[in-house]
Amino acid sequence: MELIPEQNLSRLPENSALKQQMLPAHKLKFSITTVLSIYIATGVFCIAVGTILLFSAKNIREIEINYTNICANCAEMRENALNFDKECTCSIPFHLQEKMKGDVYMYYKLYGFYQNVQQYSLSRSNRQLLSKDIWDVQDCAPFKVSHNDTPIVPCGAIANSMFNDTIILSYILNSSIHIRVPMLKNGLAWWTDKYVKFRNPNAINLSNEFAGSAKPPFWRKPVYELDSDDPGNNGFLNEDFIVWMRTAAFPTFKKLYRRLYRVQYFIEGLPVGNYSFNISYNFPVTRFQGEKSVVLSTLIWSGGSSLFLGLTYMMTGLLTLLASAVIWIIYLMKKKNTSMSLQESMQDLPCRKAEVDNAVSEPKVSAVSQ
Amino acid sequence: RAIMNALPQTNMMPFLFQDNRIHTSKYNILTFLPVNLFEQFQRVANAYFLFLLILQLIPEISSLNWFTTIVPLVLVITITAVKDATDDYFRHKSDNQVNNRHSEVLINSKLQKEKWMNVKVGDIIKLENNQFVAADLLLLSSSEPHGLCYIETAELDGETNLKVRHALPVTSELGEDISRLASFDGIVVCEAPNNKLDKFMGVLSWKDSKHSLSNQKIILRGCILRNTSWCFGMVIFAGPDTKLMQNSGKTKFKRTNIDRLMNTLVLWIFGFLGCLGIILAIGNSIWEKEVGGQFRTFLFWHEGEKNSVSSGFLAFWSYVIILNTVIPISLYVSVEVIRLGHSYFINWDQKMYYSGKATPAEARTTTLNEELGQIEYIFSDKTGTLTQNIMSFKKCSINGRIYGEVQDDMGHKKEIVKEEEPLGFSVKSQAESTFHFFDHNLMEAINLGDPKVHEFLRLLALCHTVMSEENSAGQLIYQVQSPDEGALVTAARNFGFIFKSRTPETITIEELGTLVTYQLLAFLDFNNVRKRMSVIVRNPEGQIKLYSKGADTILFEKLHPSNQDLLSSTSDHLNEFAGEGLRTLVVAYRDLDDKYFTVWQKMLEDANTAIDEKEERISVLYEEIERDMMLLGATAVEDKLQEGVIETVTSLSLANIKIWVLTGDKQETAVNISYACNVMTDDMDDVFVIAGSTVVEVREELRKARENLFGQRRSSSTGDVVCKKKQQLELGSIEEETTTGDYALVINGHSLAHALESDVKNDLLELACMCKTVVCCRVTPLQKAQVVELVKKHRNAVTLAIGDGANDVSMIKSAHIGVGISGQEGMQAVLASDYSFAQFKYLQRLLLVHGRWSYFRMCKFLCYFFYKNFAFTFVHFWFGFFCGFSAQTVYDQWFITLFNIVYTSLPVLAMGIFDQDVNDKNSIDYPRLYEPGQLNLLFNKRRFFICVAHGIYTSLVLFVIPYGAFYNTAGEDGQHIADYQTFAVTMATSLVIVVSVQVALDTSYWTVINHVFIWGSITVYFSILFTMHSNGIFGIFPDQFPFVGNAQYSLGQKCIWLVILLTTVASVIPVIVFRVLNMDLYPTLSDQLRRWQKAQRRARPTSCRRPQTRRSSSRRSGYAFAHQEGYGELITSGKNMRAQNPPPTSGLEKTLHNNASWICTMSSFSQVKTMKV
Repeated sequence: MELIPEQNLSRLPENSALKQQMLPAHKLKFSITTVLSIYIATGVFCIAVGTILLFSAKNIREIEINYTNICANCAEMRENALNFDKECTCSIPFHLQEKMKGDVYMYYKLYGFYQNVQQYSLSRSNRQLLSKDIWDVQDCAPFKVSHNDTPIVPCGAIANSMFNDTIILSYILNSSIHIRVPMLKNGLAWWTDKYVKFRNPNAINLSNEFAGSAKPPFWRKPVYELDSDDPGNNGFLNEDFIVWMRTAAFPTFKKLYRRLYRVQYFIEGLPVGNYSFNISYNFPVTRFQGEKSVVLSTLIWSGGSSLFLGLTYMMTGLLTLLASAVIWIIYLMKKKNTSMSLQESMQDLPCRKAEVDNAVSEPKVSAVSQ
Repeated sequence: RAIMNALPQTNMMPFLFQDNRIHTSKYNILTFLPVNLFEQFQRVANAYFLFLLILQLIPEISSLNWFTTIVPLVLVITITAVKDATDDYFRHKSDNQVNNRHSEVLINSKLQKEKWMNVKVGDIIKLENNQFVAADLLLLSSSEPHGLCYIETAELDGETNLKVRHALPVTSELGEDISRLASFDGIVVCEAPNNKLDKFMGVLSWKDSKHSLSNQKIILRGCILRNTSWCFGMVIFAGPDTKLMQNSGKTKFKRTNIDRLMNTLVLWIFGFLGCLGIILAIGNSIWEKEVGGQFRTFLFWHEGEKNSVSSGFLAFWSYVIILNTVIPISLYVSVEVIRLGHSYFINWDQKMYYSGKATPAEARTTTLNEELGQIEYIFSDKTGTLTQNIMSFKKCSINGRIYGEVQDDMGHKKEIVKEEEPLGFSVKSQAESTFHFFDHNLMEAINLGDPKVHEFLRLLALCHTVMSEENSAGQLIYQVQSPDEGALVTAARNFGFIFKSRTPETITIEELGTLVTYQLLAFLDFNNVRKRMSVIVRNPEGQIKLYSKGADTILFEKLHPSNQDLLSSTSDHLNEFAGEGLRTLVVAYRDLDDKYFTVWQKMLEDANTAIDEKEERISVLYEEIERDMMLLGATAVEDKLQEGVIETVTSLSLANIKIWVLTGDKQETAVNISYACNVMTDDMDDVFVIAGSTVVEVREELRKARENLFGQRRSSSTGDVVCKKKQQLELGSIEEETTTGDYALVINGHSLAHALESDVKNDLLELACMCKTVVCCRVTPLQKAQVVELVKKHRNAVTLAIGDGANDVSMIKSAHIGVGISGQEGMQAVLASDYSFAQFKYLQRLLLVHGRWSYFRMCKFLCYFFYKNFAFTFVHFWFGFFCGFSAQTVYDQWFITLFNIVYTSLPVLAMGIFDQDVNDKNSIDYPRLYEPGQLNLLFNKRRFFICVAHGIYTSLVLFVIPYGAFYNTAGEDGQHIADYQTFAVTMATSLVIVVSVQVALDTSYWTVINHVFIWGSITVYFSILFTMHSNGIFGIFPDQFPFVGNAQYSLGQKCIWLVILLTTVASVIPVIVFRVLNMDLYPTLSDQLRRWQKAQRRARPTSCRRPQTRRSSSRRSGYAFAHQEGYGELITSGKNMRAQNPPPTSGLEKTLHNNASWICTMSSFSQVKTMKV
């Protein structure tokens, strides 16, 4: 054997675990016991979560009143675009049979309103809403500018189609005393929306700042008059506006409208009694065959969840347990055969070693026998 | 000097000569970019992405930003281009290496060193012993008498015996005279460049006379000059025109099966995409008509007054863009990365490193790895691949006794032999140091003076065609024409019977120290029919003896009846030798009567001068005298196999890989080696030999063989006779036995040429595929390629060709995978190959370990990848029903851009690169684990559909659960969380977690890297998510990152996490159920193996046993001569003798004449031979 020259050794591949594919590794093995225990654990966990969700969902008090057609005359009036300046109010009395404890939230809910249509959801200008450049209406087609070429502020289809019903909840103590339930119009929008995503121009007088702009065609008031009482809730920072601008994922959605201000009668929530919604009906849903309702709801630990999540958890849990039962049964049925057939089948796996030994040693064997 | 080389057909028009530079590379600097881009965009997927990119630039339908496509596209194309460029760079480098070899060229009447690539047609080159020939040369003169030279053509045709080339007498006179050579101004008119190795036609016009040129005057590129100290030749063909290069097929762009399948699948997905697009477009039209119209007027959306059909049309294209991620662009680049990784593993494998030549294995092509796991046919060269091309004298049987058997420690014995050599002083000095014989019984027998043993060795020293020569150091050098003979003569020499020298009339040997000169009376030459050669000599005592050696089958019939006992014992010994794969020869002698011989010699002379039926008469006379011989014994020479060939072959055939041996060598040699290395075994049911010389004969033979085969099958009642490929992985099915049925087919080159004709082709193929082994001998390089092509095309099987020489290049190039044996002198095979390593035995590891893993990993990777992307993309389809089919994306655009290349690429890459189902040891020990690859079980159309279904299921879960949960929900502080952005974040997070869990479940071999990548990916996802949703980045780019605050708020909600958790559970659990059930009900081999080993570990560790079958050799003749006929004449005419006894000048004419005649007879012989074999 000749000596290998020194430099040739450098061609010897490095003997590292990585290069020799010998990295220490953990092998995932799905033995029947591990699988079954994982299954049962998962199943039990899902059922537990499901139960908790269902039980807590029971504590949610929710009232939904669909007022699309209750205020039929208004709806009819709104069908005609020419009447959009006219006021139309209607009142919807209802009886609260159970007390709504704790924080109560008032939502408006729209059916069949496609806020997620692509062209619609793109029709906005983040730069404008951030007041980086309030004249930036580039992405706002088809609501960039009004007829006389003045830029619309806020521009875009989303802003233009803003929900503009006014809903006032009154508590009817008796036939003569109607108490307007105190509602908060702050804390409706996400913190980041209110403080990062939407900014007003840095000016004392908003109307000056917005001078030379047009209001969206569908709006009655310009953006700087959305809430003239509270300057912090005006302009782009108006929380109703911000909430609307956070487009919904599905054509049916509810958005937070007001929060109960827990004072006086309502310190514990909404007491049992007669109430009425006084709605100034502006938003013309019938034109796109949509519907709208107003929702009063309390919350639980996980927010305003519906039963769906709880039910699905229960179902998943049950199915998992069922599957583990099936696996278990099949395993038991196969077990008897397996131990036998495994042996057989392994004998069938040709074992190279023996074969090769055979082949290699064969000449020697014969040689010896001679 | 005017040298012209012209085509007869083109009216002596000067031919456009190629220079001697060779190119195997694909690109050069200028053509690289366009050619490479063109090649890349030929890939369906790349072209598709280009198309998508263009679509995205149209604002009306652009539903995604252009960066979502262009970033990955540019990435992919760059990576591929860089890889191609590196590959080609190495090809350039090796080309340069060959092109820059030096040879001595006669320039301006001086010999100068010149690079190969600068050699031109018409140059005169000087070659020295053991040099490679740089181009096709016309031999002008050589150092040997009469312009003879010896060449080894192993590189070209795999034959190892030396061949004689012979210069024209007129040119051989030029000798070494530089000035005369320089003034040589002959004109050569010859055939156009072609790939026929054994034919050459041309005319040399020089000094007003014309000389016809045959193949005998030509030295081809790739040959090695042997036993000739120098020779001069004129370049006729250079570079690409040389027969060697003409024989190497074109470099083809190799694609793997998986690649093709992937292309098909990609096309299917396009179709599927189209269907989805149409469904959604129709949906869009309907929605526009029913809902959207009213909705739009409400929104004052008067722009364009689109009608529903055109809106549907636009929606179609928008959806094509959105759904493009089902064919992720990163698929191809990931596949390439994985293959590259696997290639590196091959390069790094220490177990494939051959320390003897300091050569590691090398994956020269990095795109074919998984195909290594699907090989069904191996086409192997013989010489240099299976064998080492070293002959050594191993054993002999003399007078019924075997010598040469040693069971002890060999090294020890060897030394004893050397030291105890009794007549060491004379023998040792002449002994070949490389010779090892381990049995000193023979030495003792020689010392005791056993006359039979002496006669045996004397025969070996006398009866051969070897030429001897003393080199400058006074050492005896043998010029061997066949390595077998060399081994025998060397053996005799080592035992004290030293062949010293010969003249046409005498042979001088040194018998145990005394010089004895024998008179050579007759030389009965070898030919393929006689299969023996004899010499008749008169010893100093005046006795006439005939010494003969030859094939046992022939010689046994010629023996004297008194030899019966000896014959049977020798016959036993022969069987034993043959069983060990040794080449055997029987030797015998006959004492001749003086009178009888004189009469015979007279008759021989008459026959020689006869005009008609000369050959017949001579052969009858030979028959006449070669009879009643006394048996001396038998020799056994080992054609040394490469290390570990037997194990490798055995293990590969257990893996159901069929091994075909394709060699340019003779049938006997090929068959012999096939037996020796277990390609053919003694327990084979039948061996069919096809040796017809016409189409009709060949067809007839094939038909007979088939009938034979079918007949046997029917009688063995194993049922179904369908040619392979269809059996499943059922364990121990009987069918398995039948299809791997033990038949072998031997076919020679001539028959093969006929059999490859169109109508016989199928017969051949059918027969060949039913056989376990096919041995093709005497095939030309091009035929090798044709055989490979045939199987490749008609059997639709994956083929691998392995070889070491230039004669294997075409085969290596045409097979799916070409493997070159590196570390040899010639580089051609390696240069053309896809993989190279130094030893045949590494093939086992390459296929069973690396190939198997690569295939397994690649399949796993693809399954997961398609699953992942369907899960990812299909959500858009479901969402389409809720967003008015408006091509709204479910996810953030950034997420779409990054999902495949950042968030989920690394874990699956780690799986694709590192995963192992069973370790390498088990892969080798249980070759049947290789079968799923051959049957294409791990990734096929069915698997693809399962993956797609899995993906669609996941996407449904991913969509439905958040939808249900968001339907009527509010945040923990009562705020709106059913908004689009929260939904997008929830979906994206669920998706990332679900696919990560899935890849975690798919990974069966968790290394540190897998951990890092999987956990890392999830971490990276969240960090990127939070960064992109952060206030700072929104402040800078409000338009690009509108999701500000989303991650913080959404992922702070308990119900979102509940949704994510539920989605994960619901999409993963059913998959595990199916897997567990599947593993329980239909376990794969590797599952079984793992389980079995676990059970074994628990029980006692038993070694794997199989009933040992004692193999008895039923095969008779292991005879194989690497001989060529014609040498007898050379010797008796004294033509190849040194000038020590120069033929008289007057006799020159006569010898020349003779010589011409022997060349004629030789060529006619070889014609006959090849026809008849």
